[in-house]
Amino acid sequence: MSDTKIKKQEEPWQGGVAKNITFIVTKDCQLACKYCYLVGKNEKERMSWETAKAAIDYVLDREEEFPQESVVWDFIGGEPFLEIDLIDRICDYIKTELYRRDHHWFDSYRFSFSTNGINYDSEKVQRFINKNLSHLSIGITIDGTRRKHDLNRIWKGSGPERGSYDDVVRNIPLWLEQFPGGGTKVTISSADIPYIKESVLHLYGLGIHEVNINVVFEDVWKEGDDRLFEDQLMELADAIIDGGWYESCSCSFFSENIGKPLDPELENQNWCGAGMMLAVDAAGNFYPCTRFAAYSLRSKKPLIIGNVRDGIDQDKLRPFLTLDRLTQSPQKCIDCEVASGCAWCQGENYDAADTDTIYQRSTAICLMHKARVRANNYYWNKLFRKLELEGKKEEYEKNKPEANASLTC
Amino acid sequence: MIVQLCDTSASFCHYPNTRAERKLISVEALRKALRMAMCENMTVQFLYPDYALPSEYVELIESVDHAKVAPVGVTDEADIVVLPSLDRADEVKEGDTVCVRISRAELCDSVEALSALLRRVTRLNVSLTDSHTAVPEELPAYADALDRLGETVKEEYARGHFVQLNLLTDRLMLKQMNNCNAGAETVTLAPDGKFYICPAFYLEGDSPVGDPDAGIEVPNAQLYALSHAPICRSCDAWHCRRCVWLNRKRTLEVNTPGRGQCLTAHAEREASRRLKERMDAAAPGNMFNEIEKLDYTDPFEKVSR
Ligand code: SF4
Ligand code: SF4
Ligand code: SF4
Repeated sequence: MSDTKIKKQEEPWQGGVAKNITFIVTKDCQLACKYCYLVGKNEKERMSWETAKAAIDYVLDREEEFPQESVVWDFIGGEPFLEIDLIDRICDYIKTELYRRDHHWFDSYRFSFSTNGINYDSEKVQRFINKNLSHLSIGITIDGTRRKHDLNRIWKGSGPERGSYDDVVRNIPLWLEQFPGGGTKVTISSADIPYIKESVLHLYGLGIHEVNINVVFEDVWKEGDDRLFEDQLMELADAIIDGGWYESCSCSFFSENIGKPLDPELENQNWCGAGMMLAVDAAGNFYPCTRFAAYSLRSKKPLIIGNVRDGIDQDKLRPFLTLDRLTQSPQKCIDCEVASGCAWCQGENYDAADTDTIYQRSTAICLMHKARVRANNYYWNKLFRKLELEGKKEEYEKNKPEANASLTC
Repeated sequence: MIVQLCDTSASFCHYPNTRAERKLISVEALRKALRMAMCENMTVQFLYPDYALPSEYVELIESVDHAKVAPVGVTDEADIVVLPSLDRADEVKEGDTVCVRISRAELCDSVEALSALLRRVTRLNVSLTDSHTAVPEELPAYADALDRLGETVKEEYARGHFVQLNLLTDRLMLKQMNNCNAGAETVTLAPDGKFYICPAFYLEGDSPVGDPDAGIEVPNAQLYALSHAPICRSCDAWHCRRCVWLNRKRTLEVNTPGRGQCLTAHAEREASRRLKERMDAAAPGNMFNEIEKLDYTDPFEKVSR
């Protein structure tokens, strides 16, 4: 048996065959993270039970329009666990209705949460978790070291700035006990670049073995950021390989499948899942993804595709369902030698576009992707050389992780 | 270049124009735009209002090669006569090219009046005012009306009058897509002296895309081209106007049609196919295109398969 293990990134549950339905249960949060894309956060817009129920009924009443094998019911905010009572009621209702209707999603559903982790150990949240454990995915967002985390993830309110690191980290052991494979999502903006290496290693040290890390899609980058970024990733590559972390941990920055040209015909699919997903907000409006709701947009009006009363306007979904890579990409991306893995967010494309369109790809991350590709090449060359010298390359090639085109929203 | 001379210029297309207050383009703006059209080798179409133009306008207009689109009765020189309603069909002259805007329901109820018109004109352009709202249940009645109009076309051909009806004969004669192409190949000069994608965009209060001084700069211009329209580029309803204004209205994207527009165009394509079969039986060896039978009624079904 091989002793060469390389931890690959976990595939999202039922990736590709699950319908994703997101409840924006609240636009409130205890934190006021500096990079938060939710420009319109507030304490007022909380979803009512009536709206949530109407959304569930709308979806479950139309089984043939939602033929996907499985469903992920996603809860986001703000901070979703601020609305734990509502969420508990929603989840109970969904379970009861799936059973009552003998729906094909019965026993093929998940409840998914992305939380700041602050009230993770509260009695109500814990009661909910224990009740639904086998159907839950919960990700806690922690940005890395205290220094890095507290740089951005600060408590809301006036007075001196207060970081939230301690309030989150104390819940990590409980979370990992309940979700041993739990991964975290790290978002990198310009000011975070110098802390990437120490942050990822710190998260590994906390016992979090899967770090999903992305640079923000927004145009926040300063001159020279790409060089700094590349240097940080190379240092991280050295640390992961020299420290043997690659055997047990993954970091989404490094993937064998990125940095190659893409075939114009065979690899013309859209990257982002907007339109395949469905999001509903407190007003009962439907969106192709939460990024199209008013509170996520800087400069465009919300892109509403219907509401719980009148249903989904299928015409408004057509642009999303027929969008491909080439039609939205500028020529430089079509010709790009390192295009694979260069992601985009349809919502950010829309927000940044010159007109009200989802068909104009934003390339604000261009230099950052190219830097990532260089560091990624370095990572794999170094890792393969090491394996070769240790006589483990062949075993690795045999057991190597399959191509993974996971989304990075 | 389409020049909408006045705010009240009659619509010749899918969009309504409810403006009643006269606002004529300034002579200066018109002069600049026409100079630009000549320098850029653009062909010019003038959309006339329903009143006589001052002589300086007439002079300017006549100084360039152009086509006139004018309401019935306004000028004897109209290249395209706009009929505001079928009630005034009598005013149309033998051999005219006529354009009429009606709803699907009106069309279904007016087959006889339209047939009478077809017997007299060279070409009839029907612009449906509600193609975008079509749903499958409404189409059999529309298809039936088209078949009845097809019968008239067939009879006219039999007596040597090769009349054209855009909804039926265009698909039988075209060899490739022939859409409106607003924003890609045409642009509209509005009475405010600025350029817009088409008159509908002006009337709806959109931002202009240039003026004769600054030139034309259509933002995201590629999205108006067929190459950047994922559903339409895989479609062969060549006669369809592929109206970017309706597209935006229905799907919020100029490059993506709503289902109604596609269903309607495919009902027409299918009626053209049936007409071809009938023509073949009556006049074998005719020059009309063969049209393949499709297994979809909306190309979205094919693209998203
Ligand atoms: S954004 Fe830059 S790196 Fe990404 S595909 Fe386009 S050209 Fe390539
Ligand atoms: S976009 Fe073209 S087809 Fe549509 S209303 Fe304007 S001119 Fe007519
Ligand atoms: S029928 Fe639909 S897909 Fe075809 S050209 Fe017309 S609008 Fe486009």
